[in-house]
Amino acid sequence: MSFLRSIACVMALAKPINTTGTVQTRRHFKRWVSPTLRELAHRVKKQGPQKPEPRSGFVEWNYRSELFAFGKRLNEEFQLPLLQTAFTQRAYAHQEQERQRKLGIAEADLQTGDNDQLIAKGAHIAKAYVEAYVKHSLPKVPAVGQKAIASYLLSTETLSNVSSHLGTKELIFSTEYPPSSDTLAQTLQAIIGALADSSGVERAFLFVRDFICTQLNQKDLLDIWTPQQPLELLSEVCNQRNLGDIEPRLLGDCGKNTILATFHVGIYANRQLLGKGFGENVQTATKTAAIDALQTLFEMHENRRPFDFQIQLETKNVRLG
Amino acid sequence: MSNSHLFLKSGFPRAPLQNGLGRYVCQLQRITLKFCKNNGSSRGMRDFIENHLVDFAKENPGIVVYVKPRRHRTPVLVGEYLNGDREWLSCRNSTQDEISKWIDLLKTQNGSSSSLRLRKMWHTDVPSIQGSWTPFLLRSPDANRQTLPSTEASQPFDIPQTATEKLIELFKQQKLEEGNAGDEILEQKRAE
Repeated sequence: MSFLRSIACVMALAKPINTTGTVQTRRHFKRWVSPTLRELAHRVKKQGPQKPEPRSGFVEWNYRSELFAFGKRLNEEFQLPLLQTAFTQRAYAHQEQERQRKLGIAEADLQTGDNDQLIAKGAHIAKAYVEAYVKHSLPKVPAVGQKAIASYLLSTETLSNVSSHLGTKELIFSTEYPPSSDTLAQTLQAIIGALADSSGVERAFLFVRDFICTQLNQKDLLDIWTPQQPLELLSEVCNQRNLGDIEPRLLGDCGKNTILATFHVGIYANRQLLGKGFGENVQTATKTAAIDALQTLFEMHENRRPFDFQIQLETKNVRLG
Repeated sequence: MSNSHLFLKSGFPRAPLQNGLGRYVCQLQRITLKFCKNNGSSRGMRDFIENHLVDFAKENPGIVVYVKPRRHRTPVLVGEYLNGDREWLSCRNSTQDEISKWIDLLKTQNGSSSSLRLRKMWHTDVPSIQGSWTPFLLRSPDANRQTLPSTEASQPFDIPQTATEKLIELFKQQKLEEGNAGDEILEQKRAE
């Protein structure tokens, strides 16, 4: 609009010089304005939406301060060169070397490190600690379930979410912007590796506990891991714990032979009610009841005692190697 | 909610990334102070920069502070948060105290609060600890063994007492109170 207004102003100013006598301002826009604007709009549309601009391209940007603040924000002591290495992707490092070679800069003294080793180290530490934490917090869940929960915590989605909320997005040296979720997740692992190198493995463990393990808070564990074939698993577990044979019994039903039929089934073992569940037929209800019983036996019900995120696992309990 | 807020993003108060559960992370990651070196409207901002900015930066090493002088423009505070939000605040003619209060606000928020309409002042992922109510909850086990249709089960719970029933009850009570004496009177009457 301001463009149009300025044109109108220019025309208004230009008019009185040409005409002598009565002052009459022009009441219309020039005929070229509309087609020009149309053409400009057409070109913008053809270009597609504008790509997000990296924050590092702004005038007010100091990478060193950003790195320093990154460590301080998380309450950790990082060695800045190591942290910078953790943020440098291998593809980016290669691209930089190529660029320097083309410019004729000697290669030997300007080798920029990449974060491959740190990623491997960080991933190892994170995996070891998360597995130990899950094992400690959910001792009664079988190994399959513990593995599923640990792999949820170490999945790319969880890690990239954590990583982006720690503010790594602007600091990553990567060939693409915004960085992909894989890059974000790998960078988080590299940061854990860099932290282990800077302040010791214990600090890295606490970092994993505070930022990755806390993602389990208020999550429904059944969403993360649901036992396959719950009835078989339940009878197996009951045999192991000497609870007796399981026996599903009908607690109630409603609307039989209609499309809104409901069955309420309870699973008993040795005259004790283990769990109950609903279903549109008896099989589904039995399965739901078995899952409910398993949740109680494994202590992973949604109303279980909340996870303790203040515990300090002893280093000897974390299997690093 | 007014018409100007129709397209405002809405949401619930949330802590990003379970903040504070493991450790607290200040969500303001960088702040830019833009001001003019000689315009009067920037006076408060200049005073703030002169007197408090270094202390602020020392106290909050996790926040990157950028200072950007520019000629003949309004002083401005721009805060950037870890969740990617960017908050722009005009500080035209503000005093240094007002500016430190605004900065304190930015520091304690977890996103741009002015661009979010709160649907409620609270939120819970778990509305009920006990679980939801079902018709099967706390039902008597007798209900399972009943053969339907049954007259007892079909009756309403609250049938009011009829006048006849009330009279019969009163009569029985009277008889109980009188006991044997009543019987004697009855026998006397029969003898007459």
